Amino acid sequence: MKTTSYVFALAAFASVLFLSSCSNNDPAPVTLTSVTFKNLAADPPSGGYNPTNGQPIGVTKKYTFFSFKTGAIVANTDSATNKWDVGFNGTTIIVNGGQQRVGKGGAIVSTGIFDNLTVAPSDGYDMDSVINAKPVYAIPTGSGKGWYNYNAANNTITPIAGKFLIIRTGDERYAKMEIISYYKDAPETVSSAIADRYYTFRYVYQGDGTKNFK
Amino acid sequence: MRNRVAIILFLILPKWAAAQSSEQADTLKTQELEEVIVTATRNERTVGALPMPVTLVKKELIKSMGSVRLNDVLTEQTGLVMVPQVNGQGNGVQLQGFNPDYTLILIDGEPIIGRYTGSLELSRLAVGNIKQVEIVKGPSSSLYGSEALAGVINIITERPTTNQGNASLRYGTNNSLDLNANGSFIFKRLGIYAFANRYSTDGYDLSPQNFGKTVSPFYNYTFNTKVTYQLSDKTDITLSGRYFTEEQDFNFDVLNANKVSFRSYGKGNVRDWNINPVITHRFNSRLKAIGRFYTTDYKTSTDLRRLSDDSLTYHDDFHQTFTRGELNGEYYFNDQYITTIGVGQIQEGVQTSRYRDESTRNQQTRYAFLQQEINPYPALNIVAGIRYDYNSIYGDQLSPKFSARYEFSKRFVLKGSLGIGFKAPDFRQLYFNFTNSAAGGYSVLGTEIVKERLSQLQALGQIQSYVYDPAKIGKLEAERSFSINLGARIEPLAKLVVDINLFRNKVDNLIEDQIVATTTSNQSIYSYRNIRKAVMQGVETTLSYPLNKEVSFSLGYQLLYAKDTDVEDAVDRGEVFWRNPETLETRRLKSNEYFGLYNRSRHTGNFKIFYHNIEKGVEATFRVIYRGPFGIGDIRGNIQGEEIPQADKNNNSILDVYDDFVKGYFLTNISMAYHFNKKCRMQIGIDNLFNYTDPVYIPNLPGQLSYINLNYKL
Repeated sequence: MKTTSYVFALAAFASVLFLSSCSNNDPAPVTLTSVTFKNLAADPPSGGYNPTNGQPIGVTKKYTFFSFKTGAIVANTDSATNKWDVGFNGTTIIVNGGQQRVGKGGAIVSTGIFDNLTVAPSDGYDMDSVINAKPVYAIPTGSGKGWYNYNAANNTITPIAGKFLIIRTGDERYAKMEIISYYKDAPETVSSAIADRYYTFRYVYQGDGTKNFK
Repeated sequence: MRNRVAIILFLILPKWAAAQSSEQADTLKTQELEEVIVTATRNERTVGALPMPVTLVKKELIKSMGSVRLNDVLTEQTGLVMVPQVNGQGNGVQLQGFNPDYTLILIDGEPIIGRYTGSLELSRLAVGNIKQVEIVKGPSSSLYGSEALAGVINIITERPTTNQGNASLRYGTNNSLDLNANGSFIFKRLGIYAFANRYSTDGYDLSPQNFGKTVSPFYNYTFNTKVTYQLSDKTDITLSGRYFTEEQDFNFDVLNANKVSFRSYGKGNVRDWNINPVITHRFNSRLKAIGRFYTTDYKTSTDLRRLSDDSLTYHDDFHQTFTRGELNGEYYFNDQYITTIGVGQIQEGVQTSRYRDESTRNQQTRYAFLQQEINPYPALNIVAGIRYDYNSIYGDQLSPKFSARYEFSKRFVLKGSLGIGFKAPDFRQLYFNFTNSAAGGYSVLGTEIVKERLSQLQALGQIQSYVYDPAKIGKLEAERSFSINLGARIEPLAKLVVDINLFRNKVDNLIEDQIVATTTSNQSIYSYRNIRKAVMQGVETTLSYPLNKEVSFSLGYQLLYAKDTDVEDAVDRGEVFWRNPETLETRRLKSNEYFGLYNRSRHTGNFKIFYHNIEKGVEATFRVIYRGPFGIGDIRGNIQGEEIPQADKNNNSILDVYDDFVKGYFLTNISMAYHFNKKCRMQIGIDNLFNYTDPVYIPNLPGQLSYINLNYKL
């Protein structure tokens, strides 16, 4: 009997210890890991490309919006909200910040190793704007200027190794994202014959209002 | 011209590429030390006494190898690599890492024109009338001006010697037929040499699954004559002329960048001619003067029609002229001091459908050069020279060169030379006006017309944005190189000769295409700029050993590092990354992981055995040529429309060790000849014995070629 109660007490103590240690760990900071999103369709041409002039056929010219918080695509009808963080159309990526946006977002095109960036910079974020009636994007467009290189010989778009984007969202949260491919299913070798305007990217989102990516 | 077709599809942006170097004694004739060349100093000098790296390939050697066109000869020389043009076709020569555009190619001291896409198609030149080929490595702009940046290849043609005649017939794989006839005739003070060649082939097909051939059938004729006349004991005149014409039949599927193909047929033509009178007068034993006049004309055109409706789908023509007058003098103060001076003027013109109008673009160059040879004592030779060029478009250029040679002993000689070479912007870079309506609709505009065209497009509201500083658009300077060659000739054992040459070329102002603006329909407009810098360096070594009177061995090797300086600096600063295509992990590229420029092999080499028994009348050769792995970039598909995968596999747009390389390969060529008597010679041979081919990456390499060659001497 004595032995039994002793064992029982020990078990009770152990389980209290166990439970308390669990509850202690619960609110501790979650280690952020990168999430990969595959095949985000950025207005792929339904009719392919015009064989004569290379222009896309059957494009909507509408952006595909993405939210880091939900990790999902946001309806285009929500364009005038803070629900989306980045938008994609062809090679152009927009942020939710600037003259024509509702949010306070911005972006930095960063050079280095994606995983090594542990804290987002506090300033240096560009916003989308309009200059002389022409849009100027926080993430510059054009080969070698922003996130991609265009190869005129093979007519392909490849993300530049070592370039990634640091994004401030419309509601002033921070994320970093690295584009991995512009082609459907992110094939190892790309060519103009493979369907393009399909983004595969990975990102780390910090939703607690800090700039930490750890 | 063989290459013409791909141009349609994948426009020729003159990517500057490169080549390599070699210094090699004529393996057949090492015993003959009195080999004379003119290219290095513009005067006849023995090869052994020259302070700069030179290679001499003599007629006997060319015959033993069974060569038919100039590219066959050059491809076997150490440090020379045959490379295709930007469309993957044709044969140009890469020397010390430089693209074919940077080596000046001369016939009897006069430049060959027709650099239609930058590099000169070497198969245009028959070898039957060649007395010797002289190759000088390192810049020779101090004597020859523009283009002599990597080096100079001078083809010395036969002169009338005795009354004799020669006819030969060679037949081989691909129904290739080469007919040669030449004769020389001497009558008192008059000498006449005449040469005729007809070459025809069915071409070859490396990708039988595609309609059409890799190289379409063609035939060509070459005529060459040289008339010499001794006006007096002191005065000689020489008049030479050349006429070449080629026609090629095309039948293939034209495939545009969007993979839409249609069957087409057509013809391509090339025609060139030149006239070259030279007068030489010896005032006395010390002073000699030479007056030279040279005029040449090159024309090429291509027409392609759609098979289904005979509609003209492509037309391209190109017409270039070059005329030069030059006066030079040579003064022997004594054996120790020889001065050479020269002045000249060049008039060049180009007319092409690629400039969108029929007007001729002209430019003039005036130049003067001075060269001093100093031999203060027998062991020391010094050659110092300088040349000044003034051009109507790109202004003036000063090109000095200094070379010295010191003979420590017969078995140990040191040589060195320093020089500056330049290459003028070519007509294409100045006047190109090309819109590719097939592949994406981009335009390329030369720097002399780009501003005007852009302002027209601007006025029409068709410019979306400038992607290059408009203030810098439309300015172009000559490309320049500062080069050092340091060499030694060592005879460690009796008869074993080792030649070593270290070279370093620091190149500035390299011209590259650059997107300058985009149009409202999202098409790119390219022009040209002086932007890149590169260093091409390495070492070349040749080992030659004549075993006995009959057998000689030689071994040649070149190590080459050709790197873009800006890329190298960016890598050193840690700004270049690579993404592993499998794990998708990004890493920083280390300095030793940057390989260098595209299309350059780090290692190239050759091994040759020559056998020649004069008594028995037997010749035999065994030659192996190696080209190490290299990266392919900037080639816009090949002639059969196959898309060429880019070397860059890891998203940094440079060639690093993790990228895809074209495999290295060996080519083995063998030949045997038998002299039935003094008049008849029969040769059989096989080039590319093991039939190495690479249809995608090396379309200019045909497979195995066997041949039989019959030669009759009158």
